[in-house]
Amino acid sequence: MRGVTRTATALAVVVAAAFAFTQSIPHWFTPKVGAIPELDLHDPELIARGEYFARVANCVACHTAPGGEPFAGGLSMQTPLGAIYSTNITPDTDTGIGSYSYADFERAVRRGIRPDNVPLYPAMPFVSYMIVEDEEIEAMYAYFMSGVEPVVQKNPATTIPWPASMRWPLFLWQLLFAQPREFEPADHRTEQENHGAYLVEGPAHCGSCHTPRGLALQETALADDDTRQFLAGAVLEGWYAKSLRDEGIGLSTWSKEEIVDFLRTGRTDHTAAFGTMTNVIEHSTQYLTDDDLAAIAAYLKTLPSRRTYNDSWQPAEDFTTAQLRDGAFSTPGALIYVQECAACHRLDGMGAPRVFPALAHNSIVFADNPSSLIQVTLAGSRMPDTSHDAMTFAMPAFSHLSNRDLADVLNFIRTGWGNHGSEVTVRDIARMRRLVDNAPQHYVPTPQEAVHE
Amino acid sequence: MNKAIVMGVMAAVGIVAVGWFWHESRFYDAPTAPAYTVVSEDGRVAGEYRPPQARDILQEDNAEDIIYGMRLLNETSRLLPENVGNGLNCNSCHMAQGKRPLGAPYINTAGDYPKFMPRAQAVLDLTERINGCFRRSMDGRPLADDSKEMAAMKAYIQWLSKDLEPGQRVEIDNMEYFDVAQYTPNSTRGEILYALQCAACHGDNGEGMKDQFGDYIFPPLWGDESFNIGAGMARLSRAAPFIKHNMPLGVSLDAPLGQITLSEQDAVDIAAYFTAKPRPDFADKMHDWPEVSNPADARY
Repeated sequence: MRGVTRTATALAVVVAAAFAFTQSIPHWFTPKVGAIPELDLHDPELIARGEYFARVANCVACHTAPGGEPFAGGLSMQTPLGAIYSTNITPDTDTGIGSYSYADFERAVRRGIRPDNVPLYPAMPFVSYMIVEDEEIEAMYAYFMSGVEPVVQKNPATTIPWPASMRWPLFLWQLLFAQPREFEPADHRTEQENHGAYLVEGPAHCGSCHTPRGLALQETALADDDTRQFLAGAVLEGWYAKSLRDEGIGLSTWSKEEIVDFLRTGRTDHTAAFGTMTNVIEHSTQYLTDDDLAAIAAYLKTLPSRRTYNDSWQPAEDFTTAQLRDGAFSTPGALIYVQECAACHRLDGMGAPRVFPALAHNSIVFADNPSSLIQVTLAGSRMPDTSHDAMTFAMPAFSHLSNRDLADVLNFIRTGWGNHGSEVTVRDIARMRRLVDNAPQHYVPTPQEAVHE
Repeated sequence: MNKAIVMGVMAAVGIVAVGWFWHESRFYDAPTAPAYTVVSEDGRVAGEYRPPQARDILQEDNAEDIIYGMRLLNETSRLLPENVGNGLNCNSCHMAQGKRPLGAPYINTAGDYPKFMPRAQAVLDLTERINGCFRRSMDGRPLADDSKEMAAMKAYIQWLSKDLEPGQRVEIDNMEYFDVAQYTPNSTRGEILYALQCAACHGDNGEGMKDQFGDYIFPPLWGDESFNIGAGMARLSRAAPFIKHNMPLGVSLDAPLGQITLSEQDAVDIAAYFTAKPRPDFADKMHDWPEVSNPADARY
């Protein structure tokens, strides 16, 4: 018994010491900026530039719940331990960030520390925003203080249970994974490619979803390096954010023009965005300038393939189109495809340009990780709504089909028309079905709860 | 003491692991599909109905016929060029393999015919009804009554109601024939709605959209390749209910086709716009509605 007491006491002392130590961290590791710039917060030009940079940084997508007020927060994000909610970043002084000084704002955005010295969850991509240039942070501050409508909406509490909900250990996370850094242009890249690298690594924070995360949920690379892990693809909330490297299963089958078209309009003749990327395009990339989009595409095409991966992807011979047109339906997969999918995606797997995505040679269909294909089939999804196309199309949810039916038809699709993807199992479907069924609810307050100022 | 702790921890880990595997291996599957009610001839509830699933076809003795019928209904224009005079297929109008209520399903079709048709003022059997579609909606020529193709299409339609007893009916509506006359059709507004909600697929000029083989992905809604004036779809009272529940498709998360429900005024306005467009004549039109007056929305 004495041993247990002694161990518990020692543990308590260590935890208390760690806690005390972490409380000092914001003072020496992440201090507020000393030199406060002279800013005219009502300068329309500054506000307009801030609005554009906020578009590039896509603040609105995460800080707005579906159906909620812009920037008022409430969007839930799934973590293994529970849901966290994005916060109100409108300039309301009580529930938003209206009382933030420039130094408070800068430190929250770039270093992930609240004015009350509490660390933010790394769901806020401050590790990416760290390299954003001063003038962009200044313009965004002006925009958020003067260009955004204040909304009274309290931030909902996380559903992560205590003790995991304690935030002070995040200080240690910051010490390990959020060391100060600056953008480093590379000599081997053109000026345009370097500008693209800046946007991708920094404000556009593509790595938040597309870079694999480590055990501590840190992004395993923040820029292209020898590990070649940057933008190598990762799963978030059951969506597979595909590899954006210029490799077989990555963007090797995409031209720069297609990447630009996709980011601007949410679709190409061959494919369409869905899942989380729908929000990114709808709220951010559709507004980007031609130069910025071209720079992003140019940079992505410079990322070499991972060492154990193929540089390119070649389809096998297409027997499927002839099989389906000739009526050779000997397998359940083919029959289910014809009854459930072919009306839109067609016997040749080509869909209809800019209406229904092709399944033949579509990089998300043959991706090494089938999560997105499974989820989009089970739960359905919408294309981004942009000003470039008259109509926005959607994939209906096929959760009424059995796991067996879905596995059969997805395997038919993943190996049809010359695609060669790995096998999807009934258990893969069951697992995704559970995830989809248990997705957290977003917080959208009733009109009584959220009153406009 | 230490031993007890180690044992306790191991037991806990074991229990958690077993529990996890049990949980994970449990078959977490789709909920049972909601059933439609089956009623017998005297109106009493006689059972439940769920449309048969695609994979079930393979269990049938006449699977080959059913599959051929399914293909003919899906790809009528490509597979029967001698009989189809335009770019349409049976399933251009009969949605989701004939399994969707309000989308002209085939679910009760096998049992509903022979049936009195006001247009013919006669009792028509299923063969005559199908050939009516070939001559009107598909602007072509009828299939021979005893052809393999006619038998195959009927085999598919009969497969959908294979578990029904004679006289039984599934309680679904084929179409919601709302009273179109209570709305004033505004084809100018219909033209605007068409541009916003229809043209992306059916084309700015109703020309439809073709695939790499020249087959229609989306059917033409007017012009030489569309249905003729003898088709039900050329009548406002038939087109508007169809549009209300079936168009546009691929725009919502609702299975099977991502359809939405339009307002009745929208459906009437869009129908008024495209039904009145130029389309092929129907040579036998003088035989329709014999000895009764033609309905107000007929094109002749």
